[in-house]
Amino acid sequence: MAAPAQTSLLDLFVTRATEAAAKVERVRRSGVEVRNAVARATEGARSLVIADGEFLPAEFFSTLRMLPGVVSKPSDDQLATSDAGVTEAFAGVARTGSICIAIGPPLRATASLLMPLHVALLPAERIVLRPRELFEPKGLGAEALGRNLIFVTGPSATADMGPLVRGVHGPHRLHILVLE
Amino acid sequence: MAAPATPASQYDTPRAVANKRDKRTLVRAIRMALGIESAAVRRNTQNFNSNRYREAAALVDYDALKDEARSIKERAIANLPDLLLTLEGAVRARGGQFYLAATAADACRYILGVCQAHGAKLVVKGKSITSEEIRLNHTLQAAGIEVAESDLAEFILQVADEQPSHNVAPAMHYSTERISALFKRKFETDEPLETGEELTKFARQRLRQKFLNADVGFTGANLIAADTGTVMLVESEGNIRMSSFLPPVHIALAGIEKVIPDRREMGVFLELLALSFNGKLTSYTSFISPPLDDPPFALSGRPRKKREFHLVLIDNGRRKMRQDPVLQEALYCIRCSACMNSCANFQAVGGHAFGGETYCGGIGGAWEAGTGALENARFSDLCTGCSRCVNNCPVRIDVPWLNEALRDRLNQKSAGSPTATLLGLASGAAGRDRRASAEKIFFGNYHWFASAGRRARGLTNSLLKNAAARNMLQALVGLDARRQMPALPARTLVEVARELPGARPVPARAKLALFADVYTNYGLPERGLAALKVFQALGADVVVSATVPEGRAALSQGMLATAKKHARRAAALLGPYLDEGRDIIVVEPSALAMFRRDFRHLLLDAPFVERLRTRSFEVVEYVARLVEESGRAPQEVFDVARSPVGPRLFYHAHCQQRTLGCAAPTEKLLREIGFDVATSSAECCGMAGSFGYKKEYYELSMAVADDLFGQVQAAEGESAGGARALVASGTSCTEQIHTGLGRPVLHPIELLAAILKT
Repeated sequence: MAAPAQTSLLDLFVTRATEAAAKVERVRRSGVEVRNAVARATEGARSLVIADGEFLPAEFFSTLRMLPGVVSKPSDDQLATSDAGVTEAFAGVARTGSICIAIGPPLRATASLLMPLHVALLPAERIVLRPRELFEPKGLGAEALGRNLIFVTGPSATADMGPLVRGVHGPHRLHILVLE
Repeated sequence: MAAPATPASQYDTPRAVANKRDKRTLVRAIRMALGIESAAVRRNTQNFNSNRYREAAALVDYDALKDEARSIKERAIANLPDLLLTLEGAVRARGGQFYLAATAADACRYILGVCQAHGAKLVVKGKSITSEEIRLNHTLQAAGIEVAESDLAEFILQVADEQPSHNVAPAMHYSTERISALFKRKFETDEPLETGEELTKFARQRLRQKFLNADVGFTGANLIAADTGTVMLVESEGNIRMSSFLPPVHIALAGIEKVIPDRREMGVFLELLALSFNGKLTSYTSFISPPLDDPPFALSGRPRKKREFHLVLIDNGRRKMRQDPVLQEALYCIRCSACMNSCANFQAVGGHAFGGETYCGGIGGAWEAGTGALENARFSDLCTGCSRCVNNCPVRIDVPWLNEALRDRLNQKSAGSPTATLLGLASGAAGRDRRASAEKIFFGNYHWFASAGRRARGLTNSLLKNAAARNMLQALVGLDARRQMPALPARTLVEVARELPGARPVPARAKLALFADVYTNYGLPERGLAALKVFQALGADVVVSATVPEGRAALSQGMLATAKKHARRAAALLGPYLDEGRDIIVVEPSALAMFRRDFRHLLLDAPFVERLRTRSFEVVEYVARLVEESGRAPQEVFDVARSPVGPRLFYHAHCQQRTLGCAAPTEKLLREIGFDVATSSAECCGMAGSFGYKKEYYELSMAVADDLFGQVQAAEGESAGGARALVASGTSCTEQIHTGLGRPVLHPIELLAAILKT
């Protein structure tokens, strides 16, 4: 049930996240489609870490864990050297093109931080218009207020060395799969 | 412009000129910054600034957000003691430790104690200006603990041993070339260190090992919510996420002013803070309520410890600031850097000249004074009061007023001099202001010197042209000998107006009083006469007021008692005009800004201040209004074909005029009449009232003007259609552009008077 307002929210999100140097793809919500999209997004990654989700069906993640290169139950040493991390996003913010990662559940923080590539799965209905909606006790705000949240807008970046360089301590690439 | 490979030895190092208690050090710091750091600072600040302007213009509720943020901060500071208790409870309930440090030394001692209790050998640090305030690195390193600054800018500063030059981008005074030279000098490596990519990769690889092996992670905090103990951390590199997540112990340090009542309010700041820096959200903003639930991270071979979190808040002068009617405002600051990025002087030199040992920019003086000593705020003399920062502050701090009040306090610490006392007495400066330097007394009472000089105009004018006399003025009152003061006119505006046939049309289209400001009256009376001509042609009943100082000059020198005295004189002069139903017309924008913005600080009669604020107008703003009300098109009133300078203009609006929103009406009217108008985006011409006339600041003033002159050149390029006539609204802008480019400069009202259709 894509109401017109919902659609334009999604369009705005895609535009802004792309401007923020994230790669954004719209994917149909099925286990196979999601698996294929993640496989394409992580092509070339030799080792891959998958963090479980909360909002998407659990079987999406069990399917993902069967992809080649997935490190099951990674040690911290393996986390420090893996090539890609896949996490669910708690929410998306259309106006800024941000995703919001709720850290706490296993591997969520590390898989979105330590690897050069972060792939985020964002349920389209969890996109809000502006950042502050995650702080107001209506809509997503009610769920968000008790959580540890990281707003992520594009890959890590710096201009401290002069020109803008993407890829510093955090992920060098951010790939967002919006699940419709 | 390629920077020199090594800082040329004739310049001081930034550390050597960090504390500017005495003015000589300030002058040396300006010289160092103009010589070494200016190009990078200018490029970076102007980039931040234009990004912010673009994004802010697109945000429809920007003003409402600012109001919200301001009111949250006001409430937070008012209820601070309660908030600290609530916060302590929230942090402890989650299993964290809470420490409120009275002084910098207390904070350092506590943090060192935590590190030592864990046998820490390596602390990895996210960017924290507050840790610079307490000199934390020094304490930890003296105890044998390695400190790894992990923000790349702080990494550069640590390698270079320099203090930050900016709140948000602390190494923005470094160009890629200089970083490359620095790293090659300091590190023995075969890795390529030329491009931004290479330098980033080099630093990233070194720091990755530090994150993974650190015993303690240290961060600052952008805000803290009292109800939940949530810490907001803004960054773009990921180093703060690493520092707050990977090591088993996380210590966060912040000033007590960073506490707001509740987490729900953080959304407002999430939207405002990054916008106010660079226009956009940075890559990462964390909202975490530590200690985190995640199992602690440990590479094999390292002990897996229990997570620990310490929130260290420092007072270090802040509670005293809270009791101070002026410095209290600074506690609202969220350190977004908009004030410094929008400041013309800051753009030219950065925070190593326009800053102290820790804090910099327009807001920095109040912070250095509040957390250190009043004398440490001497550098805030570089705030010209141009007001360009005012509309940019997300929490509506009146930064120029803070600096004017600090200047007043510094004047009181000045030793005074016989020259100063004499000048002060003669010029009628208020008793307490006679302690200020002779320079400040001269510039703060310009009206008296202009009026005295007029009594012997021939002599004064020939003296102003005489090199020996100018050198003497430079020595006596600090007026730079390279500056030519405008010659005093044969007849002032008031004198000429008195003899003009009165124009009192009945019925009048408008009743006006033209305020004969000191600069127009004694400097450029033709502007006032042009205004009379235009208003009369438009059917207005207009009278010219007497000339009195309105206090701008004294205010900008920090002579508050004198400024109040002048403001009262102006109020006594203008009150009766308002009573008669006359609107007040002002030619000089800095005088108008007194009526619209600054009188609220100087006069007690709030209803009068409000009446004057809403009924005083910039001259062309009012012309545009009258034309519009007449129902005639601007081309029916003015004929561009009569322009004595042709149809192509370059217009530089005055800094105060822009802040008041009075630049746009002039641009619009000129374009509607049919002029081809190019405008400047320079925040200020560099003269800024008396600033550029002062001998210590001449070079800086000219450096600031370079931007404006460059824009004129670009607008007159062959591809842009060639030469343009120069038009400016401020007296001092006119002088700066006139002497800098050696060409005549018109006020828009002069142009309008010349093209009236009769």
